[in-house]
Amino acid sequence: MLEIRNLHARIEEDGREILKGIDLSVKAGEVHAIMGPNGSGKSTLASVLAGRPGYEITEGSVTYQDRDLLGLAADERAREGIFLAFQYPVEIPGVNNMYFLRAALNAVRKQRGDKDLDAGQFLKAVRAKLKLLDIGEDLLQRAVNVGFSGGEKKRNEIFQMAMLEPKLAILDETDSGLDIDALRVVSNGVNRLRSPERAIVMITHYQRLLDYIEPDHVHVLSGGKIVLSGDKNLATELEKHGYAMLGDAA
Amino acid sequence: MTVTKPETAPWLAAFKSRVPLAHEPAALTLRRETSLNRFAELGLPTRRDEDWRYTDLRPLDGKNLTAHLSKISEDIDINSYVLEDSAHRIVLFNGHWVESLSKLDKLPSGVWFGPSSNWLKDFPDLNMEILETSEFEGRQPFTSLNGAFFSDGFVLTLDPGVVLNRPIQILHVGQTGKSGAQHLRNLVRLGSGAQATLVESFSGEGDYWTNAATSIHLAESATLHHVRLQDEALEAIHFASVRATLGVRSKYDTFTLTLGARLSRHDIAASIEGEGAHCALGGAFLLRGQQDATTVTLVDHAAPGCETRELYKGVVDERSHGAFLGKIAVRPDAQKTDAHQLSRNLLLSPRASVDTKPELEIYADDVKCSHGATVGDLDEAALFYLRARGIPEDEARRMLIYAFTAEAIETVGNMALRAYLHGHLERWLAKSGK
Repeated sequence: MLEIRNLHARIEEDGREILKGIDLSVKAGEVHAIMGPNGSGKSTLASVLAGRPGYEITEGSVTYQDRDLLGLAADERAREGIFLAFQYPVEIPGVNNMYFLRAALNAVRKQRGDKDLDAGQFLKAVRAKLKLLDIGEDLLQRAVNVGFSGGEKKRNEIFQMAMLEPKLAILDETDSGLDIDALRVVSNGVNRLRSPERAIVMITHYQRLLDYIEPDHVHVLSGGKIVLSGDKNLATELEKHGYAMLGDAA
Repeated sequence: MTVTKPETAPWLAAFKSRVPLAHEPAALTLRRETSLNRFAELGLPTRRDEDWRYTDLRPLDGKNLTAHLSKISEDIDINSYVLEDSAHRIVLFNGHWVESLSKLDKLPSGVWFGPSSNWLKDFPDLNMEILETSEFEGRQPFTSLNGAFFSDGFVLTLDPGVVLNRPIQILHVGQTGKSGAQHLRNLVRLGSGAQATLVESFSGEGDYWTNAATSIHLAESATLHHVRLQDEALEAIHFASVRATLGVRSKYDTFTLTLGARLSRHDIAASIEGEGAHCALGGAFLLRGQQDATTVTLVDHAAPGCETRELYKGVVDERSHGAFLGKIAVRPDAQKTDAHQLSRNLLLSPRASVDTKPELEIYADDVKCSHGATVGDLDEAALFYLRARGIPEDEARRMLIYAFTAEAIETVGNMALRAYLHGHLERWLAKSGK
C-alpha cells in the first residue's frame, strides 16, 4: 500500500535536513509502530506523508497504492484515503465540528463515488461512532477543537478517523498527553478500526501505547533514518534499555 | 460672507434647476438652501482631512454626480433581498418610493412608517426634524449635500410603549446606465419604551451614487435593532451617514454587512445623552477587486453609566482596501462608562490592504475602556487541518473566511436577521474565484 524509498526531506524555511533516507514498506492490514527519540524525524515523516506545507523533498519517492503520493496536494491525499491524526489538533474558532465533519466526509465520499449523506443519515453515522469513543454529542456542537481538553482533542481525532474510514491512518503521537483511561478509550477505538483493508502507522515516543495497540512491525527512527526494524519485541527491548541502545545499532 | 469652494459650483447650478418635491413645504426649501450653503462652504473632502485620510475619492472623478436618477421602472427584482419575516416594507428605487412593491398595510396604531415624502406631506410643520442638526452635517459634506437634494427616504416613528416584534424592511435599489445620484433622507424616532427592528438593504445595477443620511432618536428605554446590508452594484458608490441620539437606558445596536460598491463609506455618530444607555456597533466588510470601503464610528459618551460595544471585521482580497476609524469619546461627566472596541482584519492577498485606527478620548477618571486592532493572514495551520481531512483548498478557505466573519454576525440578536446576513455572506463566498 505504501512504499517509501530513500526519502530525504528538509524544512523549507531554514534548509535543515530532517529525513535522511527513509525506507519503509507498509501492506494493507498491517500495523506499524515508528518509535524514536525526540528530534529523530518522526513527526516530520508524518507531516511529509500527509502533505503539510513547509517541507521540501530533496530525494527519494513515496508510492501509495501504485501512485506517486508526493505529487498530490494534502486534500487530494486525504480524499485518496490517507488520514493523519494530529499530534496537536488545531483549534478552529467559528467552524462548527459537525459542519466540518460533514464537509470532510462528503468530500471523501465523493472521491469514492458515493453519494453525499443527508443530515439524517449523517447524524445516524455520527451517533454510532461517538459511542465507540465515549464522546458526548455536545462536543460536536462546538467549534472544531475549541475548548476541548487534551484528551477530548485526541478522541476527536480518532472519531474523525472512524467517520472517514481511511485506507492508511498515520497516528502522530496520539498517546501523548493522555491519562490511562483516555489512552484505553483511544486505543480501543483504534483497535476496532483495524481491518485487513486498512494499514495503520503509529508514531510514538513511548512503548506504553503498544501495550494497547499491538503492532505487527516496530521501527526505530534516529537521525532521520530507520536504524532498527523488528516485531513487537523490539519495543520491549527499547523500553528496557532506552534509546541509548541505538548507539550500537546506528 | 462665506467662501464658496469652487468644486461645488456644479451642484450650486444643479440646485437652481432642481424640481422640488410635490407638496414641498416652504420651510423645507429654506432648510435645503442652508444645507447647500454649508456644503458650498465645506467643499469636497480631501485626504488632507483626517477623517478622509484613508478614503480615495478618485472613483468619483468623471461621474455625473449632479444628475438625479429617475424612476425608470417598477419592474425590478428584489427577491434576493426581501426578508420573508418582515412585517412591513418600503422599496425605494433610484431614490423614489415604489408604492406597488411596498407593504404598508395593517400598520399598528402608534406607528408611522412610510416614505419621507409622505411624512413631509402629512406633517409639514415637523419637517425640521428630518433635516436638523448642523453638527451632524458639519462632519460630513455629503450629508449637507443630501439635505439640499434628497428626493425621498423613509420615516419610522413609534409612539411611547409601542413594541414591534417583527422586523421592518427598507430596500434601496439603484439602477442606471449613465451615472447619477440618489440622495435618501431617513428618520427614525422611537418614543419611550418603544421597540423596533429595522433592516435596510442597498443593491442595484450600474454606476449610480447612493448618498443616504439617517437620523435616529431614541427616547427613554427605547430599543432599536438596526441591520444594514450594503450589497450595491460593484461599480456604484455608496455613502451613508447615521446619527443616533440615545436617551436614558435606551439601546441602539446596529450591524452593517458591506459587500458591494466600488467605493463606500459609512459614518456612524452616536451621542449617548441619557444615563444607562447601551450602544453596540458592529459590522463586517468583505472586499475584492479594487473595492474600497471605510467605516467611521464616533461614540460620544456624555452621560454616566453607559455601555458601548464595537466589533468590526474586515476581509480584503485581491487589490481591495478597507479602513476602520473608530473613536470613543468619554466626557468628564460620563463616569462609569464601560466601552470596548475591537477591529479585526484578514488579508487574503499581498496586494490588499487595511487601515485601522481605534481611538479613545477619555476625560472621566472612573471608566472601563479598551480598544484593540489586529491584521493577519488566514491561519495556515487551520487551513492544513481542514485540507488534511479531504476538504478542497477553496472550500477550506471559504470555511475559514466564513467563520471569521460569522463571529461578528453572531452579535445580531434576531435569528431571522442572522440567517439573512449569513445567506448574503455565503453568496459572496460562492462568487469567490479562489
